[in-house]
Amino acid sequence: MTERWFPDEMPMPAANAETVGWWEAAAGHRLVVQRCTACGTTRHPPGPVCPRCRSTASEWFELAGTGTVFTFTVVRQAFVASLADKLPYVVIVVELDGSQGARIVSNLVEVEPEEVTVGMAVEVAWEDMGPELAVPRFRPAVHRGERP
Amino acid sequence: MNLPRGRRAVIAGVATSDYPHLPHLSEHAVHGQAADRALADAGLTFADVDGFATTGFFPMYATGVAEYLGLHPIYFDETNSGGSSFEVLVEHAAYAVESGAVDVVLVTYGSVQLSQMGRRLGTGGTGGGGLAPGPAIYDALWGNTLVGNYAMAARRHMHEFGTTPEQLAAVAVSMRNHAATNPQAQEREPITVDDVVSSRLVADPLHKLDCCVISDGGGACVVTTEERAADLPGEPIYILGAAHATTHHLNLSAMPSLTITPAAQCGPVAFARAGITPADVDVAQLYDSFTITVVLTLEDLGFCAKGDGGAFVEDGGLEVGGRLPTNTDGGGLSACHPGMRGMFLIVEAVRQLRGQGGATQVPGARIAVAHGTGGMLSTGATLVLGREAP
Repeated sequence: MTERWFPDEMPMPAANAETVGWWEAAAGHRLVVQRCTACGTTRHPPGPVCPRCRSTASEWFELAGTGTVFTFTVVRQAFVASLADKLPYVVIVVELDGSQGARIVSNLVEVEPEEVTVGMAVEVAWEDMGPELAVPRFRPAVHRGERP
Repeated sequence: MNLPRGRRAVIAGVATSDYPHLPHLSEHAVHGQAADRALADAGLTFADVDGFATTGFFPMYATGVAEYLGLHPIYFDETNSGGSSFEVLVEHAAYAVESGAVDVVLVTYGSVQLSQMGRRLGTGGTGGGGLAPGPAIYDALWGNTLVGNYAMAARRHMHEFGTTPEQLAAVAVSMRNHAATNPQAQEREPITVDDVVSSRLVADPLHKLDCCVISDGGGACVVTTEERAADLPGEPIYILGAAHATTHHLNLSAMPSLTITPAAQCGPVAFARAGITPADVDVAQLYDSFTITVVLTLEDLGFCAKGDGGAFVEDGGLEVGGRLPTNTDGGGLSACHPGMRGMFLIVEAVRQLRGQGGATQVPGARIAVAHGTGGMLSTGATLVLGREAP
């Protein structure tokens, strides 16, 4: 998916010192999670210090881009007028495969809201928001198991 | 520090402002109305106040309200933890008077959210244009709403424990039954479980009637010492125990478990400080931004086992005469929710302990709990209040 899924009025990502590496990976369509190089604990959103061992050393650990729906909601009432035409849409918390339990909030796209279940297998669907900017949304994982 | 010791904190006065619709009042005026009434209830005047606490949504908020009220306090506090703020502010005020730093802390709340925003549901969320920097962006890109976050916790609770929409609806029904006896309540018409689950979905699985009302209103309380209260006309209510906790900021991906709130941390601490167990609690005032908030809080405070909250709230479990009379004023779901409802929990808890609960008075109530929840289930704060000295 390269077409803008939400209208242009929605916020654009802006990186800071902790998140710039994550967004650089995303621009290359690589879904990563921050991993402490001292104790191996993953964390999301990215932050400056490992919440477990307090180390400031970390790396970007690349994931397969698959996961399962940990929980979800179907938003049926818009909070800004520009989203009204998009209703209803699905917001999910994804538990990311191979991430030691890291989760990310995102959208589930290419799905009927009635079909979404907790535990559903999903895969990343990158949305290019600009030449150096991409956002990971997810879709039902039709190819799951066939990926490396 | 050279301060007096051996003092014991009490709440000597409480009041609510007019509510739920105050188009003729400014936010400061709501604070003022509540402050006047709470001080009168305590038998005190502004001249007796040496400490002041309140909070709102911009920095130096307490300073602005203090100026409006004509207060020059030597203690002030504007800690903001969202919906749990006023439990935290009263806990801090108790420390301040028990330490001897001050004698009388006035705590006020005021909001004209309804009149400012127009009448609508509190779906609030992140949207609009511009750039969201740092970790906040991981919450801002998905069109999620405040309701949506609580809905995802509710969905998870249903998945893990088999909780049903009808069980969540039972919370709304009981709150409405209490509100029916509160002449000020925003919504007073009785509703059924079927009404709740057939109201439109705002964010699955939460329906319109699983969500709190949006109101104008405020309240205030006066925290002082047992010794000072002995000279006052009203019955003082003891602050027996208090504690607060946080598990994450706003992003649900950082919440360790979506079915365990900070109440699981601060509740047991507050109860231990009060020297009580959940079984000793006669009446509860629990933050009810959404029906799921109440179910999670009941479990985390230990009123039932984790996962049993759905069964606990069924069949009038939260009504007077039920398992645990809760939100006897009608709660945020039906009576009044101006944005940070925590002060209303404290006022109603004190009224119940004084026997001023009206039609929903819990006979002989001796111990009450007020528990606020803030953010996206991000913060919790528990107060244990009692009629008798510890």
